[in-house]
Amino acid sequence: MTRFILADLRRLWAGSLVVVLLIAFATALGVAVTLQERALRLGSARAADRFDLVVGAPGSETQLLLSSVFLQPSPLPLMPGDVLAKLAADPRVSWAAPIGFGDSFSGYPIVGTSTALTANLSALAEGRVFSKAGEAVAGAAVTLPLGYEVKPAHGLATLGGETHTELAYRVTGRMAPTGTSWDRAILVPIQSVWNLHGMAAHEDDHDRAAEAGGAHHAEDPGHDDHADGHEHAHVDPDAPLDEHWTAKTPGLPAILVKPKTIADAYKLRQDYRSNGTLAVFPGEVLTNLYATLGDAKRVLSAVAAGAQILVAAAVLMVTVMHIGQRRRQIGALRAFGAPQSAVLMVVWLELFILIALGIAFGFAIGYGAATMLSMMLSGESGIVLPVGFIRDDLKSLAVIAVFSAILALAPALLAYRQSPAAALRA
Amino acid sequence: MLPLDLSQISVSYPGLLSPVLDIPSLSIVAGSRVVVTGASGSGKSTLVNILTGLEHCAAGGSIRWGGTDIAAMSERSRDRWRGAHIGLVMQDFHLFPGLSAVDNILLPARLSRAMQPGDPDRALMLLYAVGLCRAGQKVETMSRGEMQRVAIARALLRKPGVLIADEPTASLDSDSGDAVARLLIDLSVSNESTLIVVSHDPRLTDRLDRRITLSAGRIASDREHREMAA
Repeated sequence: MTRFILADLRRLWAGSLVVVLLIAFATALGVAVTLQERALRLGSARAADRFDLVVGAPGSETQLLLSSVFLQPSPLPLMPGDVLAKLAADPRVSWAAPIGFGDSFSGYPIVGTSTALTANLSALAEGRVFSKAGEAVAGAAVTLPLGYEVKPAHGLATLGGETHTELAYRVTGRMAPTGTSWDRAILVPIQSVWNLHGMAAHEDDHDRAAEAGGAHHAEDPGHDDHADGHEHAHVDPDAPLDEHWTAKTPGLPAILVKPKTIADAYKLRQDYRSNGTLAVFPGEVLTNLYATLGDAKRVLSAVAAGAQILVAAAVLMVTVMHIGQRRRQIGALRAFGAPQSAVLMVVWLELFILIALGIAFGFAIGYGAATMLSMMLSGESGIVLPVGFIRDDLKSLAVIAVFSAILALAPALLAYRQSPAAALRA
Repeated sequence: MLPLDLSQISVSYPGLLSPVLDIPSLSIVAGSRVVVTGASGSGKSTLVNILTGLEHCAAGGSIRWGGTDIAAMSERSRDRWRGAHIGLVMQDFHLFPGLSAVDNILLPARLSRAMQPGDPDRALMLLYAVGLCRAGQKVETMSRGEMQRVAIARALLRKPGVLIADEPTASLDSDSGDAVARLLIDLSVSNESTLIVVSHDPRLTDRLDRRITLSAGRIASDREHREMAA
C-alpha cells in the first residue's frame, strides 16, 4: 500500500507540492506569530528582570520604563537630585544608580550612570570600570575596542546632533552580555554628562538644572543648545569620580533601584509614588504593555487563522475534485478486489501525508522566520528575543494533526461510498 | 473452476422504462469458455458487473457461483469474495502508473491483505507466461499490448475460479489482439478457470465453446459454438 501511495504522490508531484506549500505557509504564518509574540514577551521580561524598581519624575509609567530599561530615546521630566541622595542612604536599598541620557555615539546611546550600576548589572568581560570623568564602559554588543576614543554627539547621530568637542571618553572596559538593551549602551560617569550639559551641581540650582537637563533629556537634536542658555563647560577627563550624592546633585530623569527584599521593594514603591516622584516595577508596567501586545497578537492570530481556514477550504476543494477525477482508478481498485477499507486508507493516507508534510514544513519555516525576525530586532535593540517552542505547542500540534486527520477523512469517505460499477462507467 | 447459476436477474436505472438487463435464468458449466456479444447498449457490461458483484440486482434475484449466492452478500464480503475468485480483465487495462509490472500484478492482493508467500514468484511466472520478461518495467512505458498482458497476469495471480474479460482486445492492434486472445484462452485452460469474455472480436468469439447474444438486456440467442462449427 505504501508503495502504491508513494507512486501516486510521485505521479501527481506538482499538485502535491502545491498542496504541501500552501499548508506549509499557512501553518508558518500562525507559528511565526505565536513564536514571535512569545519571544517579545520573554525577551522584554528578561531584559526588565534585572531592574527591580525604577524611580523617576511623575509622568508616563510606560515612558519611564521604555527610557530607563529599554533605553528608548524620549523626553523624560526630571526629578530633584536629592531623591538619589535619599535613596542611596535608605537602609532598604541595596544599591541605587542614577541614569542620564542625551548623547550618543554612532547609534549607541551614551548613558551616564554610577559605578553602582556597572558593578551590579553584569560582570566586566574585559578591562575595568570607569574611574575618571573621561572614561567609559562599553556594553557587550558595542563594537568598539578598548582604548577607543568616543566623542559624544548630542542626541542621536543619525538625526544630525552636534558633536561635543569638550570631552572624548576613552573606553576602559566592556561588560559581559546581559541580553538587554544595555548591551548596546556606552556607560559613562553621570557627572560627565551633567558637566557636558552645564548642569554640574556646583554651578546650578535645581530649577535651572531641571530646565536645561529636561531639554537635553528630551533628546531633541534639533534644538539650539546655546539659545537655551546653557553653556558647554570644559570637562576635565582626568577629574576623579564624584559619587557622593547630596541635595546639590543635579536633576535626573531616572534612578534604578535594587531593594534589599521584596517587602522593601513594595515599601519603597509606595514611598516614592508621591512628593514629586514616580516609582514603578518594570514587570508591572510590562504586564500592562503586554495587554496591548495581546490585543495586537489577537488580531494577527485572527489573520493567520483566516489564512489557515482559506487554505483548508482550498485543500479540501482540490482533493474533492481530485477524488472526482480518480473515480475510475478507485472503481478499478474495488473491481480487482481491494476492500472499501483499503480504498479509504489509500485516499486518507495520501492526503494526510501531504497535510502532515505541510504542517512539519510550516513549523520549520515559522521557526526560521521568527528566529530571523528576532535576530534583526535584537540587532537593533540589544534585547535578546528567545524563539522557542514550549510544551503547550505540542498540544497545539496534536490538535492540528487530529483536525487535519479528520479533514482528510472527508474525501476518503467520499471515495469509500462510491459504487465501483458507477465509478468504472465514469 | 466455478459453475454459474443466475436466476431472476433484473437491473433497472431510474428514469428508464425497461430494465437494462433482464435474465430469468442462465447457467454456465464450470470450466466452460463463453463469449457474450451484442450491440452497444445491449447490457453486456451490466452483465459483467452483475457476474462480478460490482452491481446490485433487484431483490429476488440470485447470482450463484458454485453454490455461493453473491447477491445476498454484504459489500465487504463481496469485495473479499471477488478478490479471491474472480480475475477481471478490462478494455482499458486499469493498471496503476508509477508501479512496475510485477507490483501491478501484486497490488490487488496486497491491498486486500491476501498476499501468500508464493505470490511474488507466481507473479514472475505469470509475467513470463504472458511473454514479458522485464518485471521491473514501469507500466506507463509499455505498449498497449504489453499492458493488457500485465492485466491478464494480474487477473490470474490468485488462481481465480472464473476469468472475466470485458472487450479485452478492443483497444489493441491486430497482432497484439491476436496474442491476447490466445493467452486468455490458453491460460484459462491451464489455470482451470471458467472463462467469460464480452467481445465482438472474431479471434475470440470463434474459438470459444458457447456464444450468448444479448439484445436490449435480454438473451437473444445462446448457442454452443462446436455445434455451430460442426
